[in-house]
Order: sequence, then structure tokens, then C-alpha cells
Amino acid sequence: MNLLRMFFVQTKMHFVWYFRRDGEMIFWTLVMPVFFLVLFSYAFSDGTTSRSSAFLVPGIIGAQVLSSGFWGVGVMLATFREKHLLRRVYITPMPAWVFFASLVVYRMTLLAAQAVLLIAAGALLFHVRLLGNPLEILAILLLGTATFVSLGTIIGAVTRTTESANNIASILTVPLAFLSDAYVPIDRFPHAVSSALRLLPSTEFIDTFRDVSIYGAPLGHYGAWIAALFVWMIGGTVISARTFRWV
Amino acid sequence: MSDAIVVDGLVKRYGSVEAVAGISFSVPRGTVFGLLGRNGAGKTTTLECCIGIGRPTAGSVRVLGLDPTRPQGLARLRPRIGVQLQATSLPEKANVGEVLELYAAYYGIAPRAAEMAARVGLDGKLTRQVAQMSGGEQQRLALALALQHDPEVLFLDEPTAGMDAFGRRILWGEVERLRDGGKTIVLTTHYIEEAERLSDRICIMQRGKIVAEDAPAELVARYGGDATVCIEAEGFVPDEALQSLGTWTKTGAEWTLATRTEPGLALAAVVTRANALNAKIASLDLHRPTLEDAFIAITGETIGETE
Repeated sequence: MNLLRMFFVQTKMHFVWYFRRDGEMIFWTLVMPVFFLVLFSYAFSDGTTSRSSAFLVPGIIGAQVLSSGFWGVGVMLATFREKHLLRRVYITPMPAWVFFASLVVYRMTLLAAQAVLLIAAGALLFHVRLLGNPLEILAILLLGTATFVSLGTIIGAVTRTTESANNIASILTVPLAFLSDAYVPIDRFPHAVSSALRLLPSTEFIDTFRDVSIYGAPLGHYGAWIAALFVWMIGGTVISARTFRWV
Repeated sequence: MSDAIVVDGLVKRYGSVEAVAGISFSVPRGTVFGLLGRNGAGKTTTLECCIGIGRPTAGSVRVLGLDPTRPQGLARLRPRIGVQLQATSLPEKANVGEVLELYAAYYGIAPRAAEMAARVGLDGKLTRQVAQMSGGEQQRLALALALQHDPEVLFLDEPTAGMDAFGRRILWGEVERLRDGGKTIVLTTHYIEEAERLSDRICIMQRGKIVAEDAPAELVARYGGDATVCIEAEGFVPDEALQSLGTWTKTGAEWTLATRTEPGLALAAVVTRANALNAKIASLDLHRPTLEDAFIAITGETIGETE
């Protein structure tokens, strides 16, 4: 009961602070992705924007999952440590897992909202249709979020300052977004390159998410990639738990 | 068990720097223990080792009989201690009411936001955001967070640094009230006046070591040196009775008595003697030894504001 309330109040605070950040967060998480969708749908169009947009809607959602983990969680944790917020929380009775569970749920909720917004924008502006089962779409989205939050936590664990966390997050997020089938199809690269890129958890997640959501492929067909994402998630969690410092 | 805190042979090294160099002390329940020293003397490091933030390099720490360096000990200790950290460590985008509500949830207690805000002089400021508050107000909110769950032991790290007179009065009042209520309090400070006023026992730290530990009055009596009475009066000469009070020296026209007796009574005797001699008093002065005198005698330096 106490733990539930702890979790609930902490999660509520994440949202309160989200909306209070002078619109900066809203701009990066809601406005920018839709802007990218519109811009790239025209830029990458081969005559019909609906095809490029159908590729981009899940791709941009996927890129948001990556940056949510690396920036939203990784850099945020480094900032919290630098500002001594983590040590203040550490000396309270709140168990570490409640703190992290709250962070994951906050990020998952935010991503679900971002996904709904991007899907709606794709449908209204470019007639993108989702053929997939909504529950399967949600399941793979949540698995991806959990995976990249756990990997992002490593950034927050091993960096001392906001600045170095920022650098690592940029180095990872920007190239990964372009090499993981998010914005541009990696099929256009030589076969050896695209095969290698499919070993990245980001590519495995985004491709699975796209196939399941847009093309309506059954999630069950992606057992190997789902298993791989689980391995990344568990690996990330183990490494985070071992390296994380509150002070 | 009458000691709330027992520290034994505590050593804390950061690389080659020895922040705390083997110290031992104990704090009886229901008392206020002041760690006094310059910045960098090891006060904060000592306190951090008591609350599980710092891991001792060597030695042992027990708080309420629990070991804060072990996960189980720390887990049982956390609900029973309250901590005000030196660096203000509050979420900037939260307001006063939200922070208090959040911490009430952390401790599993009913929120007392309005009551706590009033207690630290933040009444009517429940919707004020942390980022818009002055440093002193943030410190007072941090104090409220330390107190809200009514802890048995309170750790205050430089609690009045950056506070104005109003904040200091509130904090001092709280400390005195909590001590009277039987709570144990450890506070670090580099304000001599604060340490003297609040502490039952003061521990003076210098370069990671404890150089003196006693009740403030005892420290002054033992290390503060003599009280002095100075008189400048035409024709004044101390008689035998006055000579027995201490050592008299004469500089120019001024006589100075260095004494260990109560200087107020010595002063009265000096004035009586001057009147008897019909000596017109041009100046008269009394100086009691202070904790600052004792601090300087003990450490060989002033406490200053230097790093």
C-alpha cells in the first residue's frame, strides 16, 4: 500500500514536472516528431507521400524510443546525480526499484502518447493505415521502451556529469536513428552492411515494430528478434544495477 | 543502549586524500552533537558515513545500533533518520507542497504539507516553485523534509549556510525544540556561535582529525585562556586582595588583570578599589574567553571562511 502510493506519487510528479518545463519538453517530444514526419514524408517521397509516411510513422516512433532511453532516462539520471537529487532520494526509504519502475512507467506512458499522436498525424495527413493488432503494437512498443530505458540507464550509471552523458547520448542516438531503419531504409545499403545493422537492438526493434504495426505481421513471427530484445534488456538492467551510483 | 551514534576509528580516503583520518566519538540519545571546523576538515564526510552515503575506508559506524554501511542496516535506519544535506538537492520544477507530498509518500506518512511549511516559515508559499525560491528558503524546505516524518535522529549538514537571520532563528528554534523532545541531533557547522548555542557537546575537527571534544563551556574553560579586566584610572594600583585574583600587567596607563575567577566579580572588586583610591576611571573593559578563543588555541588558526 505504502509502496503503491510511493510509486503513484513519484510517477505523478514526473508528469507534473514534464508539463512545467516551459514547454521545452513538449516541443521535443510532441511537436518535433510530427514536424519530422511531415518534412521527411515529402523529402523521401517517391511520388506518393503515403508510402514514405508509412515507413516514417513507426520509424520516428522508434527513434523517439531510442532518445527516450538515452536522453530522457540516461542524461536525466546523470543530471539528477550532479544536482545531488539522487543522493537525497537515496537516503529516503523508497526502494530503488520503485524509483526505476516509476521512471519506466512514466517513459512508457509518454511514448504511448507520442505514438498515438504520430499515428494520428500519419492517418490524417498522409492516410497511413495501421493493419496490426493494437495489443501487439502496444506490446512491442513497451518492450522496446523497456529495452532502451535499461540501456539508457547505463549511460546514467557510468557518466559523472550531465555534459558527458549528453555527449554519449548524442553519439549514440543520432547515428543509430539513421542506421536502424528509422528514417531511411537500410536496404539501400550493401547487403553485408544492412545485415550487420540488423544485429543492432534498435534495428531489430524498429523493424519488428514497423512490420507489426503498419503491415499487420503477427508478432509471433518475430520470436528471434523479440528474444534478442529481451537479452539486451536484461543485459542492460544487469549492467545498470551493477554500475549505478546514487552519489 | 544510551548512545544513538557510535563512531569508532572511522577513516575515509578519496584516492590519496584522507578526508577523515581515524576518528571516534559517540552521541548520547537526546543530545545535540556539533561537529565544528573549517571547510574541508572532514565534517561532511563524517556525517555522510553515518547516513550511508559515504562508505568508510576503515572503522565502524553504528546509528541506533544499526550499521549504515550494510544494506539491511541502512534499510532499517532510513525511516528513523532525517537528513538535511549541504547542497540543496530539491527538484527545481516542483513546488513546496509537491515536494512535501512526495517525501510524505517516500516515508509512508500522511502528508502534512501546510503544517510543515508553516513550521519553517514558508506558510502561504505551498505553490512556490523551488527554482523561484531563494537559497535560504530552499534550505528551510530541506529542513522541513528532514523533519516531516518525525525522525529519531536528525543530521544537519551546515544547515544555516546561506540562510538569513530569519531562517537561522527558525532552525535554531527547531533544534532546541527537538532536543527538548528527546531527539538526537548531529550538526556540522563552521559558525562558532551556532555550535556553541545549540550543542550539548562540540567536537572540533581539523584536517580529518578530532582535536578536541567536550561541552562548549568546558572547552572554553579548558582552552579559552584567562578572562581579562582592563582599567585605566589615574592613581590606580592593585592591592594585595586584587593581586590574589590573578596576574596584573601594566601597559602605559592601563592595568590588565588576567584571571581564572569570575571576571564580573573581579571587575566589581577593581571598581571598588579604584573608588577607594579616588582614582578617576578613564576606561574599563572586561573580556570573557569565548569558544572562538578556545578554537584558536586548539587549532592554531581562525575558523574563517576560507576553503
